[in-house]
Amino acid sequence: MKKARAPRQVFSSGRCSGLYNCATCGLVSQRADGRRPQDGDAAHCPRCDSPLHVRVPDSLERTWACLLAALLLYAPANLMPIMSTANAFGHNEHTILGGIGELWNAGSWGLAVIVFVASIAVPILKIAILSFLALTAQRCSCANGLPRTRLFRLVEAVGHWSMLDVYVVVLLVGMVQFGPFGEVEPEPGLLAFGAVVVLTMLASASFDPRLLWPDEIDASSHA
Amino acid sequence: MTPTLAPTSSDVLPADDRAGAVLRPRPDLVICEQCDAVHQRISLEPGQTAHCQRCEALLGRGHRFSLRGLLALALASLTCFVIGNATPLVSISVRGNVNSISLPQALWHTWEAGEPLSAMLAGATALLFPLVVIVLRLYLLLPMSRGRLPPHFMPAMRVLRFATAWGMVEVFMLGALVAVVRSAGLASVVPGPALFAYGALTLLLTSASAAGLHRLWHLGGEMQREARAP
Repeated sequence: MKKARAPRQVFSSGRCSGLYNCATCGLVSQRADGRRPQDGDAAHCPRCDSPLHVRVPDSLERTWACLLAALLLYAPANLMPIMSTANAFGHNEHTILGGIGELWNAGSWGLAVIVFVASIAVPILKIAILSFLALTAQRCSCANGLPRTRLFRLVEAVGHWSMLDVYVVVLLVGMVQFGPFGEVEPEPGLLAFGAVVVLTMLASASFDPRLLWPDEIDASSHA
Repeated sequence: MTPTLAPTSSDVLPADDRAGAVLRPRPDLVICEQCDAVHQRISLEPGQTAHCQRCEALLGRGHRFSLRGLLALALASLTCFVIGNATPLVSISVRGNVNSISLPQALWHTWEAGEPLSAMLAGATALLFPLVVIVLRLYLLLPMSRGRLPPHFMPAMRVLRFATAWGMVEVFMLGALVAVVRSAGLASVVPGPALFAYGALTLLLTSASAAGLHRLWHLGGEMQREARAP
C-alpha cells in the first residue's frame, strides 16, 4: 500500500496552535479570539456538537483505576474454574490453563498457543504495558515517544481478542447438553475473566496517548 | 477527503455564555489524535493511506467504496447476520443424540445455567452491537446515498461509533472454531450454516468500517449546512 505523507515538517501541537481536534468526528476547529484552548472552556464541536477537550479529562486517574481493578480480578480469573463438565462418571472443573492443556494434549498445538496468548499473555501484558505508559506519562517524559506510542497502538489492536475464552465457554455450554452422556456448565471464573478483558479495554480507551508527547504547555506546567 | 470552505463566522456556533469560545472550523487541517501534531489535509487516492509524520498513526484512508457500495455491504451484512443467528452454528451428536445449536440458544443456556452476566457480555459483543452497527449503517446510508440527511443524524452516529468499538464478531468467529475443535474430541461435530455466515459477516463488517466514520461525519455536516441555508 502506498503511503502518502502530509507536507509539513515542524510539529506544532494542536493545543499550542490554538486548535481543537474533535475526538468524535475528527473536525479541527480554532478559537476565533486566537486564545489557547484550555480544559474548562466548555467548548463544543461546530460540526457534531460534542464537548471538546484538549486532553482526555482525568485520563491517568481513570487508567490507573481500571488497571488496578483488572489486576485484582486477574487472580480469580485464572485460579477459579471458568467451566465444569459432568457426565455419568463424575464432575470436573476447568480453569483457563487447564483448557489450554487439553488442547495441547489433543494435538491442537496451534490453537493451544492462540488461546494461551489471547487469554493468559495478552491481559497481563496489557496491564504491564499500560502501567509503564501511565508511569512515563505522569513523569512527563519526552524520550522515546515513537516506541511508546507503538506500544499503545499494539495494546489497542490486541485488546479485544482476549474475549475469546468467554465465547468458547458460552458455545460449549450450548453445544454439550447430553444429560448423563455429558454436560458443560459455566462457572463464576468466567465472569471474572470477562471483567478483566473489559477493564483492560476501558483502561486503554481512557489513556490519552498525547500525554506521551509533551508540548511547551506541559513543559512549563511541569517545571 | 476534499477540503471544504470554512463558513463565515455568522453561521458557526453561538458564543458560550460562560467561556465566550467562538469556534471556527478548519477543514484544511488534520490533527493526529495520538500525538497532537498538526498536518495540512491532503486528498487521497482510493486505497492510499496517510500517516502522522511524527508518531506514524493512521490519519486517513482514501475510500474504495461509494456510498451505494457501502450500502450494498450493509445489506449483505444484514443477510449474513440473520442467517448467522437463525441457523445452527454446529450440530453435535453423542450416541445417537443430535444437538444443533444457534448463538441465541447458546446464550440462553449460559443464562439458565447461572451465569447471566457472562451471557450478557457475550451477547452484547457478538450479537447486539454487531446488529446495532448493521441497522444504523442501513439507517444512515439509505437516505445519505440519495443525498438526504436522516433524522437524528448525530445521535445515530455517536451510537454507531460506540457499537463499532465494542462489536467483536471476528473474535467470536475464532472462539467458535476453538469450541468446535475442543468438542470434536468427545463427539462428532458438523459445522452449521451460521458458522460460515459469521465468517462472511466478519469480512463484510471489517471492509465496511475500515475507512472509519470521518467521511460520514463530513458528508452529514455538509448536508446539515445545506439544509440550514435558505
